[in-house]
Amino acid sequence: MLAMFGVFLGLPAILPWIGGYTYLGTEVMIWAIFALGYNLLLGYTGLPAFGHGAFFGIGGYFLAVSQKWWTGGLWLPLLIGILGTAACGAVVALLVARKRGIYFALLTIAFGVMFSFLVFVLGTWTGGEDGLTGLQRPSAAGVNLRGNLAFYYFVYAFFVVSTIVLWRIVRSPFGQVIGAIKQSETRARAVGYDTARYKWAVFTLSCAFAGLAGGLYALARFGAFPEPMSLQQSGNVVLMCLIGGGFASFYGPVLGVAVFLVLRDFFSTMTDHWMLLYGLLFMAIILFMPEGILGLVKRLRQPAAFHDTREAEAARTGHEP
Amino acid sequence: MNAALLETRGLRKAFGGHVVLDGVDLAFPPRQLSALIGPNGAGKTTCFNLLTGFLSTDGGRILWKGTDITALAPDRRARLGICRSFQILNLFDDYTVLENIRVASPAMRRRAFDCWTPAASVSEAEDKAAAMIRLIGLHGREHVAARFMSYGQRRLLEIGLALAGEPELLLLDEPTSGLGSRPMETLRELVQRLAEDLTIVVIEHDMDFVLRLSRHIAVLHRGQVIAQGPPEAIRDDPQVREAYLGTLRYARGRR
Amino acid sequence: MPDLAELVTQLLNGVVLGLLYAIIALGFMLILGTMEVINFSHGVLFALGGYSALALGPYVGWWGALLLAPVIVGGVGVLLELGVRRTYGRDPLFGLLFTFGAALALEEVIRIIWGPRGYTVSAPAFVAGPFHWGFLFYSKYRVLVVLLAVVLLGLVWAFLERTPYGAMIKAGAHDHEMVRALGINLTRLRAVVFALGAALAGVAGVIAAPMWSLKPTIGAEAVMPAFIVVVIGGIGSFPGAVIGGLLLGLTSGLSNLIVPRGSILVMYALMTVILLWRPRGLRGQKSMLEL
Repeated sequence: MLAMFGVFLGLPAILPWIGGYTYLGTEVMIWAIFALGYNLLLGYTGLPAFGHGAFFGIGGYFLAVSQKWWTGGLWLPLLIGILGTAACGAVVALLVARKRGIYFALLTIAFGVMFSFLVFVLGTWTGGEDGLTGLQRPSAAGVNLRGNLAFYYFVYAFFVVSTIVLWRIVRSPFGQVIGAIKQSETRARAVGYDTARYKWAVFTLSCAFAGLAGGLYALARFGAFPEPMSLQQSGNVVLMCLIGGGFASFYGPVLGVAVFLVLRDFFSTMTDHWMLLYGLLFMAIILFMPEGILGLVKRLRQPAAFHDTREAEAARTGHEP
Repeated sequence: MNAALLETRGLRKAFGGHVVLDGVDLAFPPRQLSALIGPNGAGKTTCFNLLTGFLSTDGGRILWKGTDITALAPDRRARLGICRSFQILNLFDDYTVLENIRVASPAMRRRAFDCWTPAASVSEAEDKAAAMIRLIGLHGREHVAARFMSYGQRRLLEIGLALAGEPELLLLDEPTSGLGSRPMETLRELVQRLAEDLTIVVIEHDMDFVLRLSRHIAVLHRGQVIAQGPPEAIRDDPQVREAYLGTLRYARGRR
Repeated sequence: MPDLAELVTQLLNGVVLGLLYAIIALGFMLILGTMEVINFSHGVLFALGGYSALALGPYVGWWGALLLAPVIVGGVGVLLELGVRRTYGRDPLFGLLFTFGAALALEEVIRIIWGPRGYTVSAPAFVAGPFHWGFLFYSKYRVLVVLLAVVLLGLVWAFLERTPYGAMIKAGAHDHEMVRALGINLTRLRAVVFALGAALAGVAGVIAAPMWSLKPTIGAEAVMPAFIVVVIGGIGSFPGAVIGGLLLGLTSGLSNLIVPRGSILVMYALMTVILLWRPRGLRGQKSMLEL
């Protein structure tokens, strides 16, 4: 983890050398926050939520609306972004927590679309199709955030904190329970867990992170827009988690986000019809590499002969268990 | 005779038009090893599913220490102290033995909404899990993922998961299913030892085991209890004979 | 307050829409029920049907397109199934994501071939124009649509209920092992089902084409109603799909009177209400998907 933080710390210096730009790094971190939080739901609990882009968008709108029409400033709108999105998530979670599999997926899609629609209906406040522009980046603790570099490190702070928080969650008793639910919800109930409650909690948590990411994104673009809420874009975060290996590793989503955004930039400069390549990529990943990059790496590194995970670790590193 | 720990009165369950359980009255005495037996299709696993709340009843009541729990959800019943093992293995395959047992323990359950402390540092849960693993005989395999163990070890873990919940009543659904004779013996010894402190109800097919070791037997046939009592009574019961021999005769005739 | 003519018109529109939804949903449900795959590309297949009508119309007329489009779209379905195959037996998420990717790619293909502008497909000549009955003016074409839809639904029903192949499809949905044990070629069965489902979407596309403007995005717009109908009607139930389709079509049509742009929201609200009241839909049977 420290390595990852180190990489991102120094990224603005490296990026221009490899043909990138600081804003790309900022975007990667923002989406990484979203994807890591989402992977809690997808990779760790096994719940296929498929409309989560809506929450990302809502986060942006909560921030934008509160900054523009209500309180102004930086911290309060951001907080409202997080809490507001989490609240919406909590309500939706109440309705979907008892479902599984197909019904769960369908309902989450439906709610995602409903929220998009709501944004259009409330057009006078949200700016409808054109989005809500004219946002500001007020100074944080005296530091001016208008420049790309300053904003990059602002987002970096949140990235570090979010990663640490999510890491702790995953290693905590709560994390153990949701992992159990993923492997066998029936058994989890049989040992005394009210699984619906935990599913509700995970959903809400993932929405809180989505709200944070969405808020940061709105600040990044100086406005909140409806695109990320579309069904299509909701698929993005799923793809990001999959490419990187969300089912296999905690860091999968971060890698996935990086790969995805780089490819997106690459494809869109190549052709107008990048959507075709994107769709084909989607299909290819599912067919040939569903465990993602990190999953593949893990499989290659783990000697098949050892079944005791501790022994395997010892064999690999040369240390005694 | 002690008051029964778990009782059913007039339990009914039907799937579509097919009646699987038709007015079943059971009473399981506390701190004894009881057995639920009957030919295949008699409704034994369905009965367990009803007792543990995984299926809803179509009639009748289930009483736990005198209280009606018929409408209670399965996780609530587990927390009350009714834990079960499954006939078809139902483990947390990607978790290690330690993680499996640990997540099933009440010590962990009480901390379940803790999102910050590392799970491994909940010492009460760790200690209890370690003790449990010793008890079921999987000591030394704590850090092996469940999916990599042998079938016999997985069956042990299956019981372990039920035990980890520190139950008052342990329901074991064909715990020795598919095992070779030596693992079967080991497991049977384990069950016998456990029965000294717990109330256990076992669904079993081996009549020898049942008659030898259990103190109370209930016989199900075609969805009804045809006999219930101590092994001697069951052994000599003509109806039981008929039920089992009847199926034997049927099987022989077909050959 | 809407007057009687408007009300009846919207009701009839609702029926037309509902029957179309039912056909699309039926195709979707066959795939879902037999292979447990959420076919996200179902909407794009619908769009392909419409575009086939556009492309073939000048050569074989609308009726020709009606017969040929299902074959073409069914063929695309078979190709898709080749890919989906690798996701069988795993988390339904993978099948969903594969078809999602396919939907994106196919929509873009449509855009590449025909461009993003809207097209109109004209109805066959003999049903052009309105149909006059008392105070009511209604499009003759739409009346034809109702007749065609009913006939088509009847054919599908007969196929499923009365033919041995239909019985195999129904059995396949419930018990793969058994079907295989009976010596039925499961691989071929699945390919056929996907083709059939796709063909139904394609036919619906041809039928719908003269009614609405043809754009690449109509696929995405058609997918969600299919989901909703199946969820409302219950997975695995033919009458459920029909009732669900009609219900959705009618509420959509009626809500157009009251809240013109709110019909989509009403659809979702309807679905949410029904799911909360009857978690398996109106006529759903317990499926393996719920375990």
